[in-house]
Amino acid sequence: MSERSDSGAPPPHDDRPDPTPGPPAPPGPPAPGQPPAPGQPANGHPWPPAPGDGPPAAPSGYGPPPGYGPPPGYGPPPEYGPPSEYGPPPGYAPPPGHGPPGSAAAPGYGPPPGPDAAPGPWPAPLPPYPGPWGPAAGPPAAGEEPRQRLHPLSPALHGAKSLVVVIAGLSWSTLSRVGFGWFAVLVTVFVLGATVLSVVSWWNTGYHLVGRELRVYEGLLWRRTRAIPLERLQAVEVVRPLLAQLTGLAELRLEVVGGGKTEAPLAYLSVAEATALRQRLLAVAGRSAPAPVPAAEPGAPVTPLPEERRLHAVRNQDLLISQLLTPQAFLLPLGLVFVGAQFLSEGSWSFVAVASTLTAMAGVVLQPIRRVLDDWSFRLDRDDGTLRVHNGLLETRVQTVPLHRVQTVRATWPLLWRMKGWLRLRLEVAGYSTGEPDDRNRPDRLLPVGDAGTGAMIVAEVLPGVHLDALPATPPPSRARWLRPLSRKVVGAGLDEQVFVARSGLLTRQLTLVPYARIQSVRVTRGPVQRLLRLATVHADTAGGAGAAAVDRDLADAWELAAELTERSRAARRTDSDR
Amino acid sequence: MSGDGPAGLPPASRSALEPWPDTVRWQPISRDLIWVELIRLGIGLAVALVVLGVAWALAGHWLLGAAVGGALLLGVWRSITIVRAVRAWGYAERDDDLLVRHGLLVRRLSIVPYSRMQFVDVSAGPLERAFDLATVQLHTAAAASDARVPGLRPAEASRLRDRLTALGEDRAEGL
Repeated sequence: MSERSDSGAPPPHDDRPDPTPGPPAPPGPPAPGQPPAPGQPANGHPWPPAPGDGPPAAPSGYGPPPGYGPPPGYGPPPEYGPPSEYGPPPGYAPPPGHGPPGSAAAPGYGPPPGPDAAPGPWPAPLPPYPGPWGPAAGPPAAGEEPRQRLHPLSPALHGAKSLVVVIAGLSWSTLSRVGFGWFAVLVTVFVLGATVLSVVSWWNTGYHLVGRELRVYEGLLWRRTRAIPLERLQAVEVVRPLLAQLTGLAELRLEVVGGGKTEAPLAYLSVAEATALRQRLLAVAGRSAPAPVPAAEPGAPVTPLPEERRLHAVRNQDLLISQLLTPQAFLLPLGLVFVGAQFLSEGSWSFVAVASTLTAMAGVVLQPIRRVLDDWSFRLDRDDGTLRVHNGLLETRVQTVPLHRVQTVRATWPLLWRMKGWLRLRLEVAGYSTGEPDDRNRPDRLLPVGDAGTGAMIVAEVLPGVHLDALPATPPPSRARWLRPLSRKVVGAGLDEQVFVARSGLLTRQLTLVPYARIQSVRVTRGPVQRLLRLATVHADTAGGAGAAAVDRDLADAWELAAELTERSRAARRTDSDR
Repeated sequence: MSGDGPAGLPPASRSALEPWPDTVRWQPISRDLIWVELIRLGIGLAVALVVLGVAWALAGHWLLGAAVGGALLLGVWRSITIVRAVRAWGYAERDDDLLVRHGLLVRRLSIVPYSRMQFVDVSAGPLERAFDLATVQLHTAAAASDARVPGLRPAEASRLRDRLTALGEDRAEGL
């Protein structure tokens, strides 16, 4: 991590937060408002970045390649400096101590030596990302990275998104009541209103990195500045809804503990920007705490990615079969028959009735289809200390989770999948609220479907030293049958070397793994019947997710287990913080 | 329900069902909390009784009268459990973690390492203040962990708070 952040800063500029104190006004920095150059890799680069997508020095093909240098004959290079709008404003006087104006030939400020000086592939030395979209939202303080706006297309996208909401809000019955013309007018009015609002909010939204914090500014009447300490960053997600995919944009979501929902979604950035920002955030958030923050300008060359290693890719065919093997898929024909029968018996085939029914059904019964769309072309990569999960068809998501942020891993064997020997893996990261009703917004997938071997491989990768198929778990004592006549044999708990193991579920079997170092607190509860039977339940609480529970243990066992969990979690924390 | 936890008794007569009897010194909380809880119960009960009584007087249905009786019975039962529940509440500070136990019907024991502490709340409502009591609550990143110690004298509460925060800083780890 640290080497990444080190190499992230263009070396000659490390000690110079201020823009080039060069000769006044070289022909150089393009004025704000200049359109982005043709050939800027806004939409053209591949997404998602496949490993090996380009020369190793310019990973993923984003950002200016390292060979991006001034064309020959060009003055002091503004191109590695801050992009134009962050550059010296007119009338900018270099602060004293930064050399007299005109000392452009300061060592280290000349055109990058060697191969770097080769003419860049672009016609003009344009500022790299982001393009000059209007003035920066506030005068940047000295030495601070200037505030940046979201992509100027974002309001349009938000407006388009509100179209769906508006139509859903007006509902089909309104359509039938007011007729199509008025309906269209209503929709247009609402959508226009929403778009205007999003333009205003876009104008007032900005973000920048200050030290080890990401600051996000928003709001027109109620201004809000949110500072997110990046040490607390749990996961970063780049989401691209369908519209964003068409326009080459992406939404960046940060997960921090304590937020009821995803904090500070930056919607939308260009893909290159989102990727670069994600990488910087992760570099700053990296474990090697006091690593110097890459003072890289937004468009500085993307630091070389360490080799990404493909762990697993789920075959779409398996995904389809797995979702056909769910209760919903089995019930779908029944539902269709029911609806059809209802219509036939009533004999009313009005458009509104059909449309409403279909909408209602789509919400409930088509969950498997949604899962298929969400998990389409699921890929899991490991890249140094982070996991990268790619998935989605209409809406692609790339979730990046540092491995040490994984709180819980949960393996599930649904009843119908057992004939195939399949399982599903989920991981819990602190920050995703447990109460989120829609599990699309809880991107916790580690493996949507896979066989036992794959599952074991991934678990071993995420939690080193843990073998999914050889985990100790003992069932509760036989007197627990009074409490769980059927499931006594399937529940169980045990202590592995690295993780606390809890098993549960009669039909849908579940195995929860909690690394000792992630245990937040241990609880022992005894209900009235449990006390009669001298049983107790031991909970291991984690940040995010439900934690794990060893149910109905023998009382003495339970005290011992609780003591052991506390002890082991303390030891694990120690080694953890020593590392 | 009966009798296996002589909770709240002096440490000497601790039952064998308690965990780690040698290493843990349980501290009881102030008995004044009983009065706070009883008054709280009394206020709630009074409101309920007034509403039910007025409704009974107006409607005259025997079910409402039965409800009044039920409420009274419930109040009596609750006040007995309040006394026992307050006695059952206890906490213990160990070297690395705070232990809190409470509950009568469902007995709960929480073990919260100091290093997992995110923040500490000290609160005191008007009733608690009248009896010179305060509540200390330790929050971790896990929503499920409950380490709440009510019924502390303000001096003890601030001592506990200071100790918790000091230890938390010592062993800072976060997540």
